[in-house]
Amino acid sequence: MTKRFLIRPALCIGCRTCELACSLTHQENKKPGRSRIYPIAVGREQWVPIACLQCDDPACVKSCLVDALRLNEELGYIELLQERCIKCRACVAACPFGCSLIDEEQEIIVKCDLCEGNPACARFCPTKALEYK
Amino acid sequence: MKIQINGRWYEAREGEMVLDVLRREGIDVPALCAHEAVEPYGACRLCMVEITHEDWGGWKGNVTSCLYPVEDKLIVQTHTEDIIELRKTVLNLLLARCPNSPEIQKLASEYGIDTTSFVPREDADNCIMCGLCTRVCTQMGFNAISVAGRGYGREIATPLKEAPPDCVGCLACVKICPTHHIQYEDIGTTREIWGRQFELVKCKQCGKALITREFADYLIENRDIPADYFDICDDCKRSGTARDFKKLVHWEEKEEAEEEVSA
Ligand code: SF4
Ligand code: SF4
Ligand code: SF4
Ligand code: SF4
Ligand code: FES
Repeated sequence: MTKRFLIRPALCIGCRTCELACSLTHQENKKPGRSRIYPIAVGREQWVPIACLQCDDPACVKSCLVDALRLNEELGYIELLQERCIKCRACVAACPFGCSLIDEEQEIIVKCDLCEGNPACARFCPTKALEYK
Repeated sequence: MKIQINGRWYEAREGEMVLDVLRREGIDVPALCAHEAVEPYGACRLCMVEITHEDWGGWKGNVTSCLYPVEDKLIVQTHTEDIIELRKTVLNLLLARCPNSPEIQKLASEYGIDTTSFVPREDADNCIMCGLCTRVCTQMGFNAISVAGRGYGREIATPLKEAPPDCVGCLACVKICPTHHIQYEDIGTTREIWGRQFELVKCKQCGKALITREFADYLIENRDIPADYFDICDDCKRSGTARDFKKLVHWEEKEEAEEEVSA
């Protein structure tokens, strides 16, 4: 069975280690990439980490007119084929959760790829608010 | 299957072109008219390589790698003397066509050409006629621009050279153009491209704009995406998602976990 990415916001302490881990894992030309995960403050000492939900009926995939987004069946995530993407931003505008992102620095569109099966955010999260199992 | 490139063996997949393997393996071969979003076209001829095969009885030939499908045990050379000469000729011509293009100047100088030996085009623009813009526009289903005119006067243009009725202002053509020839301008929430003006959809919460109204409407009508998805920008949608989840979270878990740790 494919593993699942579990988010338990109650355990999140807002340390933003996940953001850093994500950013460093997605380096390009020796520059850190934009993080694909964001712990968002929702109250006093309360955070909800938000990343792509890998939807069953993904609006991003439907919005991409050049088929640069597709389900990676083996690893169970929505994959963005960078070489195909023409940066039209349709998916950024269409994702109902705001999880297809513009990396201004690298001038590309990015989204969570579950680190192709070994999510760095989950590995480095000190409280197990993020797990992949 | 495996193919040999410059003496080393690489994995290749059924149905892909030689250029796909070259790009994946980071082997430096110039290719200006190929992009994965569109079908290959074979227009620029820079991606030429030499091919042969042990079963071909010594036959060798030069082909455009963007149009040549891989086959098992194909043997490829990317920088033979002939190939380098061919690329120089192409670059020499391109430099005459687009003498002011920094991309063409850079590529040409990598092949040792700093000035063209032909007469440079007068009033030259930076279009190399690779057709990537028209192909991507067609691929996306808009067909707003095409090649107009013939021979020397050929150019990329809108129908009747007027503001194109089928354009949605998605900028795919701008982003794909290898020589940054196509101009557009965003002023506030108005976009101008190909002589036509578009309104950008403004986020109802913060005002940030991502795509044009026309592009959003196309996606709503043809791609079955709920209209309200486009009302709010990605930043505000992430915050909204977090607030929605807040209601579902069992926040007591936090104290329990902390107790576990301190125990
Ligand atoms: S930005 Fe890239 S991935 Fe997103 S819809 Fe456009 S082409 Fe597809
Ligand atoms: S690393 Fe874990 S605890 Fe820290 S912000 Fe991210 S999800 Fe929260
Ligand atoms: S901006 Fe207009 S012309 Fe350019 S690709 Fe989009 S629809 Fe076609
Ligand atoms: S405008 Fe750019 S993409 Fe279009 S044909 Fe010219 S060089 Fe190619
Ligand atoms: S990339 Fe092959 S001919 Fe242009």
